[in-house]
Amino acid sequence: MALTGLDIFKLTPRKNCKECGFPTCMAFAMKVASGAVEIEKCPHISDEAKAKLSEATAPPMRTIKVGTGDYEKALGGETVLFRHEKTFVNRNLFAVQFADQMTDDEVSGKIANLKKVDYERIGEQMHVEAVAVKYTGNKERYLDVIKQLKDLNKVFILVCDDAAVAAEAVALVKETKPVLVGANAGNLDEMVKLAKDNGVVLGLSADTVEDLYALAEKAQGLDYKELVLNTTGENIAKTFEKTIEVRRTALEGKDRTFGYPSIVFVNDLAKDNAYLQTALAATFILKYGSIIVLDDIEYANALPLFALRQNIFTDPQKPMRVEPKVYEFANPDAESPVLLTVDFALTYFVVSGEIERAKVPAYLAVPDAGGLSVLTSWAAGKLGASVIRDMIKNSGLEEKLTRKRLVLPGKVAVLKGEVEEELPGWEIIVGPEEAMQIPKFLRELN
Amino acid sequence: MQKFMIIGERIHCISPVIRKALEERDPEPILKRAKEQIAAGAAYLDVNIGPAEKDGEEIMQWVVQLIQSECDNIPLALDTANKKAIEAGIKVYNRSKGKPIINSADAGDRIDNINLAAANDAMCIALCAKEGIPRDNDERMMYCQQMLERAMEAGMDPEDLLFDPLFLVIKGMQEKQVEVLEAIKMMSEMGLKTTGGLSNVSNGAPKHLRPVLDAYTLAMAMMCGLTSAIANPCDPKLQEAVKTCDIILGNTLYADSYLEL
Amino acid sequence: MAYTKVAKKYSGKINEVTLGTGDKAITIGGRNVLPFHHFDGEIGHPPKVGIEITDIVPDDWNNALKNLYGDVMGDAAKWAKYVEDNYAPDFICLHFVGASPDGANKSVEECVEVAKQVAAAITTPLVVAGCKNDEKDGELFAAVAEALQGKNILILAAKEENYKTVGAAGALAYQQKVAAESSVDINLAKQLNILMNQLGVKAEDMVMHLGVAAAGYGFEYLSSTMDRVVLAALGQNDTTLQMPIITPVSFETWGVKEAVATEADEPEWGSAEERGIHMEVATAAACLVSGADAVIVRHPKSLQTVKSLIEGLLE
Ligand code: SF4
Repeated sequence: MALTGLDIFKLTPRKNCKECGFPTCMAFAMKVASGAVEIEKCPHISDEAKAKLSEATAPPMRTIKVGTGDYEKALGGETVLFRHEKTFVNRNLFAVQFADQMTDDEVSGKIANLKKVDYERIGEQMHVEAVAVKYTGNKERYLDVIKQLKDLNKVFILVCDDAAVAAEAVALVKETKPVLVGANAGNLDEMVKLAKDNGVVLGLSADTVEDLYALAEKAQGLDYKELVLNTTGENIAKTFEKTIEVRRTALEGKDRTFGYPSIVFVNDLAKDNAYLQTALAATFILKYGSIIVLDDIEYANALPLFALRQNIFTDPQKPMRVEPKVYEFANPDAESPVLLTVDFALTYFVVSGEIERAKVPAYLAVPDAGGLSVLTSWAAGKLGASVIRDMIKNSGLEEKLTRKRLVLPGKVAVLKGEVEEELPGWEIIVGPEEAMQIPKFLRELN
Repeated sequence: MQKFMIIGERIHCISPVIRKALEERDPEPILKRAKEQIAAGAAYLDVNIGPAEKDGEEIMQWVVQLIQSECDNIPLALDTANKKAIEAGIKVYNRSKGKPIINSADAGDRIDNINLAAANDAMCIALCAKEGIPRDNDERMMYCQQMLERAMEAGMDPEDLLFDPLFLVIKGMQEKQVEVLEAIKMMSEMGLKTTGGLSNVSNGAPKHLRPVLDAYTLAMAMMCGLTSAIANPCDPKLQEAVKTCDIILGNTLYADSYLEL
Repeated sequence: MAYTKVAKKYSGKINEVTLGTGDKAITIGGRNVLPFHHFDGEIGHPPKVGIEITDIVPDDWNNALKNLYGDVMGDAAKWAKYVEDNYAPDFICLHFVGASPDGANKSVEECVEVAKQVAAAITTPLVVAGCKNDEKDGELFAAVAEALQGKNILILAAKEENYKTVGAAGALAYQQKVAAESSVDINLAKQLNILMNQLGVKAEDMVMHLGVAAAGYGFEYLSSTMDRVVLAALGQNDTTLQMPIITPVSFETWGVKEAVATEADEPEWGSAEERGIHMEVATAAACLVSGADAVIVRHPKSLQTVKSLIEGLLE
């Protein structure tokens, strides 16, 4: 975070002795704030003030890496509380929780689900990135479950506050850079040592925000900063409060004691209510959960949650684009019409949504139009007759169709003549101007 | 960012109407100007009762209570050289809409007004001058620092100081204008709040030019970070400038009707 | 060092708006903090959740919902009563999909008749939504507002194209509440509020419909629009944006592929009903934490879930 001249001025001794080469301490402070001068140029600055300054110019929230190799993920590193202010940089991770008291069937069921829910959406592979394994008293079984999960290549989150058991568990997976959620006020020293010795990210848990703060401070005092803060509280309201306070204390209060990623066990809050779990997960995708732990993953909860995460963590400066290709709706055949739109994700979604709604078999051709809306891409020369021709020629549609009809977006009706010239044999139809009118248009098209 | 704040300047003893009303304790002209300014968007009203050496305390209390009771406790800047009158005014002042502003302290004789503000949890306009006009910006910033230090020693939040770089008349001191703007920029970069008597710049200019000079100066000053001004909110040109600059600077959200608000 | 809380005090406050009459009347808004930030200040009224029904039997609804409601769907009044008796939502949204000139094209008179019957059958506050055709909606809303005078309904919504008709009839002539609809366009949202206000509609008779998107379908635009509106309303004390926000989540969530695709289309995906509910509760939750003061859902299980979430967040 940038400091203002005033912040720095407060750190100067205010002697106005001119030894720094400036007429006043204030003039000096302003130069330091703008980065033109080093604070060391003032011989009277105390070490304490220097420490404060370097502290204050470091990023407010650490980026913590978990997992290794292809499975490495970055957490935290955020600089803003609202995505429109800049962007959220590191998307949250999802984890599915296992435990030592689960039967083999339960374990294998969840493993199967983890493998099954793995799909692509707008250029991103969607799957759960982490597995949490909770210790509830049966050590042999605990270690056994961990072993069963190793082949999945997920980030391990070991949930265990028994230092001796944790040590054995860590030994099994330490080369994967796991997270150990197990430190509390009672075992901090041991846990920090374990984490330090094995290069493990340590998760801290405490009942209240104040206790969590004290704990983080102590961990830092033991010179360990590879931390994750467990912000799960006794109920939903407390969890929300803790998670918000941790993030904004770091970003707005510029207090790096809370400048770490969070982990939220929404599975515990939802108490076996799968719908509530989804609602809670959505809540913490927006409000500052870095790792969100679920009971299980199925398509039903994965589809909205991954999609929401993809939206929230997209860079506001770069519009999302869909892959340029021909999309199919309701099993189209050789007679079905071909609609045309652009690869700007929002436009694509509105148009495809309306085609879905119409329940009429159709193709949707999406050329590479620079990720812009229909009119903008047309104006920028990215949706001209030649682009459309190349798209159609390369798509294989000509060979497939017996009846060749291409529907242009109503907004670029002007292209009709040119496209007719470029695509002989095709009937070029001008479609509606607004996506809303597509269902009616399609139903009446014959 | 906060919206730009106008401190309405029209209740000033230099106006014969107001001077007479203050003398005769006649509410009508004072309230009329207060309400006009509030309707035009003034966030604060400056109340200048003149030197008022004799009955300053009584006048200030009367006018503070009069305006606040009739105008929904609009916050005020108390403007007089008579310290006792300021203290008396603060005693009856209602803070529900904002702290009182003391207008003003400087780096010379009136620096104690900062302590007065600190003691009364008031805000204070800090004029970056001592005797006459500061020679250059080094001097200006020196005064700025002196007042800032005084405030910090007195336990005042720097947020409560509004630094006034001292706007200068264009007709006569044209060569100083850029310097004033640069001073505003430096103070803003320091993280300080700023204000100033804007209409100084157009003093002596033909009547039809005054709003033009004021409005463009204000726009340029806002670009340098100026956060408030003591000015005439009822001037439509000035209003246009403030509202438009607030939009460009992102201090308010744009809507097609933004000028009508 | 002891923990210092970053306290957030805002000068602005969301207006309070009351819908309906009698015991079941509801009030939304009234907070001077970000959504569910009970630890910062005055939380106002908890957000409210309504259920969507339609004037005619909808042809594109999920079969599970059709099975759930069965015959009552054929009679909007019975349907509304059924929803009130069995699910007790905070309000009911009567969605006039049948009015659409592109669809069943029911006449304004027919629609008014349905609205009257529904209003007579229930005591729960009523929200009336249109068919997306601005002209038809303008006439429809004016007529419904008149017919239901005294019921204090919410008209969803007035748009740039028809706000004069809808605002004048709805709020001015017949004292109903009116939502101003802008499609994820923050400057239009503000402008529309100003225009309605200039028409004479009082701020406390208005809510905002800032647009709606399902999770995954440009939701970031909606979320950021809400963030910016709420921050302007609270932080900048912008009185032209302090109306509470209503978001008809169900209008979008049940139309996206994740909810529409049949089990035959996507065998791996499982039950379409389940997918629809998850999509609906995820989107509703995301809207609520972004600033919605009321949301509309379709599935009774979504209603239950979102109510539990709100209670949980405010416990
Ligand atoms: S050397 Fe240090 S104390 Fe001396 S004027 Fe410069 S900043 Fe101030």
